[in-house]
Amino acid sequence: MAKPNKILGIPRRNFYGIIVFALILSTIPVLLRFNTYYVYLATDIILIASLVAAWNIIGGYAGQLDLAASAYMALGAVVTGNLLALYGITPWIGIPIGVLIALSVAVAVGYPTFRFGIKEVWYALLTSALVVILSRIYWLIYGSAETYLPTYQWSWFYLRFSRYEPFYYMLVVMLAIVLWTNYRIRHSKLGYYLNAIREDELAAEALGIDVRKYKLYALMIYATLASIIGGIYVCITGVVGYRNFDPWLGITTAVMGIVGGLGSVEGAVMSAMILRTLEDYLRGTIGAQYPGSHLLVYGIILILVGVLKPEGLASLIDYVKKKIPWLRS
Amino acid sequence: MISVDPMLLVQNIVNGVFMGLIYSLVALGLALIFGVMDIINFAHGDFVMIGAYLTFLLATSLMVDPTLTVFLTMPLFFIIGIAVYKGIIERVLGAEPLIQIAVTVGLLMVLRNLALMIFKAEPRGVPFTVFGFPINIGPITIAASRLVAGIVSLVALFLVHILLTKTKWGIAMRATADDREVAELMGINVKKVYAVTFGLGISLTALAAALIMTFSRADPYLGLLYGLLSWVIVAMGGLGGVIGVLASGLIIGVIEAIGISIVSAGARELFIYLTFFLILWFRPRGLFGRR
Amino acid sequence: MPKTILKVVDVVKRFGGIIAVNHMSMEVYENEILGLIGPNGAGKTTLFNCITGVYRPEEGEIYFMEEKITGLPPHVIIQKGIARTWQKVRPFKKLTVLDTVSVGALLRTPDVDKAREKAMNILEFVGIEKEKWNRLGTEITLIEHKLIDLARALATEPKLLLLDEVAAGLRPHEMDRLAKVLLKIRDEKKITMIVVEHVMRFVMGLSDRIVVMHQGRKIAEGLPQQVASNPKVIEAYLGTKPL
Repeated sequence: MAKPNKILGIPRRNFYGIIVFALILSTIPVLLRFNTYYVYLATDIILIASLVAAWNIIGGYAGQLDLAASAYMALGAVVTGNLLALYGITPWIGIPIGVLIALSVAVAVGYPTFRFGIKEVWYALLTSALVVILSRIYWLIYGSAETYLPTYQWSWFYLRFSRYEPFYYMLVVMLAIVLWTNYRIRHSKLGYYLNAIREDELAAEALGIDVRKYKLYALMIYATLASIIGGIYVCITGVVGYRNFDPWLGITTAVMGIVGGLGSVEGAVMSAMILRTLEDYLRGTIGAQYPGSHLLVYGIILILVGVLKPEGLASLIDYVKKKIPWLRS
Repeated sequence: MISVDPMLLVQNIVNGVFMGLIYSLVALGLALIFGVMDIINFAHGDFVMIGAYLTFLLATSLMVDPTLTVFLTMPLFFIIGIAVYKGIIERVLGAEPLIQIAVTVGLLMVLRNLALMIFKAEPRGVPFTVFGFPINIGPITIAASRLVAGIVSLVALFLVHILLTKTKWGIAMRATADDREVAELMGINVKKVYAVTFGLGISLTALAAALIMTFSRADPYLGLLYGLLSWVIVAMGGLGGVIGVLASGLIIGVIEAIGISIVSAGARELFIYLTFFLILWFRPRGLFGRR
Repeated sequence: MPKTILKVVDVVKRFGGIIAVNHMSMEVYENEILGLIGPNGAGKTTLFNCITGVYRPEEGEIYFMEEKITGLPPHVIIQKGIARTWQKVRPFKKLTVLDTVSVGALLRTPDVDKAREKAMNILEFVGIEKEKWNRLGTEITLIEHKLIDLARALATEPKLLLLDEVAAGLRPHEMDRLAKVLLKIRDEKKITMIVVEHVMRFVMGLSDRIVVMHQGRKIAEGLPQQVASNPKVIEAYLGTKPL
């Protein structure tokens, strides 16, 4: 068996795959003729795709049903946003600080729940309420007032632009980084250990794997990525407030990840793009009359996938890969 | 420093005790299902919410006291519980834990958003009840509805305890909870036990919902509060049976009451979540799986 | 004088009212294959679990290479050099054979590529053909599972290997294949083994020494022939198949 060729720690195939994918995505704004509204939608979709791809690390690789993606994202957002709006600190510093805050919360939640023997469900429960609780705390401290970020026409220093295109490309790079992180983990000791943990925690322990430690690693990597995404997000919207804590986004992120197929980052990205587009469509049409209808659809899809096809879109991707042998990675 | 009126504190704690009884009732269904089947139904709180709306609809259309609706809602919820079990839960019993949990999350999304779509976000209350008067015991005032709700909850808890310890079904449930394989070997139809347990667990939420509707209102986000309460109680009470649930429920009720006195009613969920968090860190008895 | 690698001193393990291990003591010498036998319920697997850190004994101590290891958690025990296989095979169902063994190898070799190479060497050593290396855990026969379990444990570079009823469910020629591999492990890799077994033919032919447990304690010890004719042992096994 020939030694696999790796670039930047991931197999060649994956590396070129990311490059090609990023290049394809880069053409989208051009194809959309730089129409502000459509570029905004595209930016939103790339953002969600990055978030779900990051979620794959905790959900797919570590096997934990994390429902707090929006919590970590929101923490990144409000920290970055407030630092910029109130103290004029550039997001290039604000975002790392947001990461630290998000990491602290993540570890506070994960450390006790990842103890050996504690059932997965408690992590899911804790994270499901985390967003709401954080939003209440934020509301108690800052009230319902919303702070606006200072406007700049074109500032890379403050990450504020009068158009969406710079954000779009930033997020394409972010997506590439998240994809790279996924592949890197998959082909590293962490990835192998997470696989073992998901398969059989007891056997994993007996092989020297400190179950809690490795789950925490996965959690921390994911929370870091999510909060960075949040930091970018706040620069796009320009508003900081308790509403940054979206209670349903954490759940829908997990839904997208599950529908994509646990452990398949390609499935996660595909599912995110499809479902988010569907969601935007639903919200635009019947969403006004029936608030929450898109969430109802998410719920039904989740139940159907869980009961009928828990492997998700990944099984479809595998099927296509089997038919086209040179795609197999 | 926060100043608390001692009289108000005592008053709130008394209320807290009765609320604690109701919380125990709500959590009991979840504890039963968790104990027997090892499944935490994320949508448990939202069944309470649906029950509340159902109570509202039946009480206002039939012009009866909300408490009387249980004669319709409890059997209905029992059937619904079995339907949910057979349609969803049974099919994922062999799947990985994340999927098992995920489908109940899906159920939560369906229930909560159905309610949102149908009823929008305004709360609905039943404007009449037999128990709508206050009772004075010395300096303490308690709404008759809360008192009755607390007593009925206690009775229900007691009845379930009897069911579990003295009846054939109850013993079958406990045997299955203890060791599924051995129970099967002893001739117990485990799938049937699961279905009945689930149905029972859900029907208890209908009872709790009816009681709650005598002094509170239904809104689509009830599920958040009661779900959280149920999980904390189960986390605290562990597998201590009905007594464990009762004790935990009372403690939560009192903690919540103290929290309301010191901070504000809006901090309710915060306190409960904080309690959940602290239990997780320091006393996670109920959290360990069977191994 | 052979060197002691594992020393169990007066270990007691209770489960509620039941005493599973009742003041059990024994010594295991370097580079031997020690057979641990006894009727059902004698406490063999419980003792195993005490040694590997799955259970914490209520009383007594366990020493590995002169170091006290009583009560340490499983992932620390294996770091020290004690590995185990499982009574009911515990394959990683959704992983390939090679990935499974690589997980074991990663304990000592953090580099994934080197770990995979090591895993390949060990798979060759235990006799799993190359074609099988990319098969999933669901596509393997029982004897192969056992060898893979073994390979996975070997990949952690243990000094002591605990085998819990490896021969269960195997046909005679498969048992021979397994026995050959175990002897190879003793002779070529110089690893000490404790073999818990019910299948007499297998353990008697394989072991250098035998320890017999009954009702949680040691009732006999010695060479296989000595133990086989020991009246106490025969009495304990009364009613089971003769040797």
